[in-house]
Amino acid sequence: MSYWHKHSLRLLKHELKRGELTIILLAIVLAVSAVFALSGFSSRVKQALTAESSTFIAADRVLDTGSVIDPTVLAKATSLELIQAQQIQMSSMVFTDEKMALSALSAVSDTYPLRGELLVSPSLDASEAVASNSPKSGEAWLEAKGLRQLGIALGDSIEVGVMRFKVTGLITQIPDASFSVFSSGPVVFINNNDIQKTELIQPGSRLSYKYLFAGDADNITAFEQWFTPQLSDNQRWYDIKSQNSPLARALSKADKYLSLASMLGIVLASVAVAVASRRYSQRHQSVVAVFKAMGASKRYVSKLYCLHWSLLSVLSISLGLVVGYLILNLGLYAMRDYLDTSTTGNMAYPFLVAIVTGIICAFAFAITPLRELVQTSPMMLLRGRDNNAASSLFTRLMSPLPSLLAIFTLLYLFSQDAVLSAALLIGGMLVALVLLVIGRLFMSAGRSAGSKAGKSWHLALANLKRRANENAVQLISFTIAIQLLLIIVVMKNGLIDDWQQQLPDNSANRFLVNITATQVEPVNNFVDSLGIESSGLFPVVRGRLTKINNDQVTKRVSKEETKSADNGRRGVGRELNMTWRDGLPYENSLIAGSWWQPEDTRALVSIESTLADKLAVEIGDNLTFQLGSEEVLVMVSSIRKVNWQTLQPNFYMIFNQHVLADFPATYISSLYVPDDATDALQDFLTQYPTITLIDVDAIITQLRSVIGQVSIAIEFILLLVVLAGSLVLVAQVQASMEERERELAILRTLGASGRLLRNSVLFEFVALGALAGLMASIAMELGVYILQSRIFDMPGSFHFQYWLLGIGAGASFVGLIGLLSCWRLLNMSSVTLIRRTM
Amino acid sequence: MKLNSDVILKVSALTKSVKTDAKTLDILHPMDLTVIAGDSLAIVGASGSGKSTLLSIIAGLDLPSSGEVFLKNKPLHQFNEEQRSAVRARHVGFIFQQFLLINSLTALENIMLPAELAEMDNPEQLARELLAKVDLTDRAEHFPSQLSGGEQQRVAIARAFISKPDILFADEPTGNLDTKTGSHIADLLFEINKQQGTTLILVTHDPKLAARCQRQVTMESGQLTETVTDEPLGTEPLVIKPSLSTSL
Repeated sequence: MSYWHKHSLRLLKHELKRGELTIILLAIVLAVSAVFALSGFSSRVKQALTAESSTFIAADRVLDTGSVIDPTVLAKATSLELIQAQQIQMSSMVFTDEKMALSALSAVSDTYPLRGELLVSPSLDASEAVASNSPKSGEAWLEAKGLRQLGIALGDSIEVGVMRFKVTGLITQIPDASFSVFSSGPVVFINNNDIQKTELIQPGSRLSYKYLFAGDADNITAFEQWFTPQLSDNQRWYDIKSQNSPLARALSKADKYLSLASMLGIVLASVAVAVASRRYSQRHQSVVAVFKAMGASKRYVSKLYCLHWSLLSVLSISLGLVVGYLILNLGLYAMRDYLDTSTTGNMAYPFLVAIVTGIICAFAFAITPLRELVQTSPMMLLRGRDNNAASSLFTRLMSPLPSLLAIFTLLYLFSQDAVLSAALLIGGMLVALVLLVIGRLFMSAGRSAGSKAGKSWHLALANLKRRANENAVQLISFTIAIQLLLIIVVMKNGLIDDWQQQLPDNSANRFLVNITATQVEPVNNFVDSLGIESSGLFPVVRGRLTKINNDQVTKRVSKEETKSADNGRRGVGRELNMTWRDGLPYENSLIAGSWWQPEDTRALVSIESTLADKLAVEIGDNLTFQLGSEEVLVMVSSIRKVNWQTLQPNFYMIFNQHVLADFPATYISSLYVPDDATDALQDFLTQYPTITLIDVDAIITQLRSVIGQVSIAIEFILLLVVLAGSLVLVAQVQASMEERERELAILRTLGASGRLLRNSVLFEFVALGALAGLMASIAMELGVYILQSRIFDMPGSFHFQYWLLGIGAGASFVGLIGLLSCWRLLNMSSVTLIRRTM
Repeated sequence: MKLNSDVILKVSALTKSVKTDAKTLDILHPMDLTVIAGDSLAIVGASGSGKSTLLSIIAGLDLPSSGEVFLKNKPLHQFNEEQRSAVRARHVGFIFQQFLLINSLTALENIMLPAELAEMDNPEQLARELLAKVDLTDRAEHFPSQLSGGEQQRVAIARAFISKPDILFADEPTGNLDTKTGSHIADLLFEINKQQGTTLILVTHDPKLAARCQRQVTMESGQLTETVTDEPLGTEPLVIKPSLSTSL
């Protein structure tokens, strides 16, 4: 073994034992473990949530197509060990001997559903329902409203096409039931082996084939990557997130939040590594100078420190992986009641990301300090400082480059978005620059204020001013750490509030559809008598958009286009449900034009904004609708943004009363029916059997549980980010320790009392922390505003209550860490202090 | 007159100046100096007179602004950092006022360091012998922070001599020690120096310590003057300033 090996190992061994490398070791360990835990945890949470919410589409992925697909696709899925199910859906008349009804016929394979549960009861008692797959051949299952509409009981027969089925089950829950309140007739389930026997599939039949796939996340992704390039125009491939449902939106926001928190956590951890590696380099300067004075060449020292740093990094990264694994499992264990973590998580990803992060942190952030370290001139032994350190402006400007590149790489690794990463980085640099200037101004101002304050404050503020440069750097890291923490807290609370607002405790859980004009009064009376909340009654008139100005609509929007762009909502290209209103409905906002006066006698329509975009319709355009046998020409008077996430009837087209009031309409209403009023509702509905009830209570309950889980997951992530932020503070305070030691020695020698020194150290850190907290709060508002408006699609808001949190937490946390770090120094005798600093 | 081969250090027309923002500051004015192998030379002078700058240049730690420095006939003024490192490893030993031991190495490891850098055989055995010589055998595994100032300087002396340097530079070796310890350290330094026949260049404030050297030169505002002692101790007295001529 050559001597540079030996020297390197010797230094490492002793320094580790003597605790001289603790901070840098902790910084890398934390960076790696935080990244491991964050990426592992958020991917597990996403996986578990997606798995749970996949029950809403009964699969992980669905292919919706108008025709039978090539068997090789299914063979490929089989080869990737994906489980599969098929479902054929069509509208079809169902007959009994006396009645008939238009049903939503669903022929499912024996493996349906792949996710979630299809609950079927063998009797009319819904509580006896059990999870089922598909009816046996020759049997059919119906929803209660189907049985009611057809006037049959279980055991009776129905005719579908040319085949007779015995009704053997009452369907109480369909996993992939439509969210749409306008979905047509009652659902009838039959086995897909029977579909041919019904002879319903004829050339030109309008039906949709759904191919359901589920399996291991990696295999699903592999299949998706293989298959999606082959998708044709009339095929739609989707997962839960591509559904335009409240759940999909909640998931997508949670997903963004988890990524954001992970990214900020990583930035914090890397700042800690950057700070600690600077200190590592400074502490080793005198060692390098001694080595060089004794005749060691620069090459020798470089090799020695490369090995030293590499071994330290390998050790820290390994430790970080172990700690990260423990934290991850601890987190998953703590959340076992809230989150189904039984799904086999992919551990390779967090391992890989954590190792890459560790390597980038350990090398990119250390390269500049290490380069400076090996350049140390032996002259510093005689002069006490390194004259060569005054490097050229170019070198000084270039020196942060590797760190910035590293942060960019890490951000890009996580976001996969170069523009976002660059924007974050450049924005961050600008903020740091502004903070630097403001910080220095504050410190100068503090000095004059301090001269009027007590002795300890005076000393503390004088110290702040004197070390303005070092403190400005400290201030920036404190500020950035506090700012990122505040952003995470504010966004978390904002996101959870946003969800809770969408799903308040009394959000509508039942829809009443097909209410006739004569039933309007009884319904209103019923709602009033129970005192339950309702959206009010919306008249519904069905019609078709035929012309935009003078263009036939079919030329502009084909049916398939509408379907794919519209994410499954019934839209243009087929009949639309339209309403008329005097006032703008709740959760609708005008983005162009103006709302009409009730007495306006012109024929006006307000159109939903995405549809307006799609149809390229502008204010003042004339639309022609076919309503029954009549054509109606209306002018677009406003464009509305609609919050589709509200559980109330929402419409693409709203007319003024003048246009629609005379057309025959049915009415629709959404209600919040508390548990104790469900019996009363059932009684009411038996009096009016033509009114259709749509129960979304189960969906809402499930949605709430998903959101609850995401909220808890977010709290846990927050804890990890706070940990990373704290380490930055500790590392930064530690970095100034030597300087402080020297000063304390001098002040002690000059006879300063222990109390004065303690207080001055405490006040200095408190002032620094409070200042950082204030600046962090200002910077946080900016960051949160950008995030809310650009990334999370939420309304921007101010958060003055968090300013107090920022300032208070900054002052107390930085003060405490500072005092604790200096405690040992403060309690040393003057002699010991002087001897240590000589 | 000595032969060139006996001259261990030859300095001619050496200057050092540094550029500040507005002007150039001359730290060392043109000076010559010749030291014969085995001699001991004290450089005395007030703080800021340029003693340490001179030391750093003749020890190969820094480069002059102009002039020549030959150490063991090697033109240090023409050498780059790496070449000067090699010269230091083979020929030079150091003792500093602030001891400058490496805190994370034990006393024994600190002493072994120069021998290892010079790739000598058995550095540990040599280090243990020197530890015994400076009377610190039982402190071999102690770290510098566990040693007193005098003990640290004894370790530094052992470290300086382990590579059997041709020339030893000592910068205020007793400056940080009390009188008694200082005197003990000085005894040790001169004793080992004598045993090993090393050339000693000593920078000091202390006239008593300077007097123990065979020759003394005084630095004053960057100018070097030879102090002629009453009793020349075996070497030719050299007057360096103002003639700049030497006996060579």
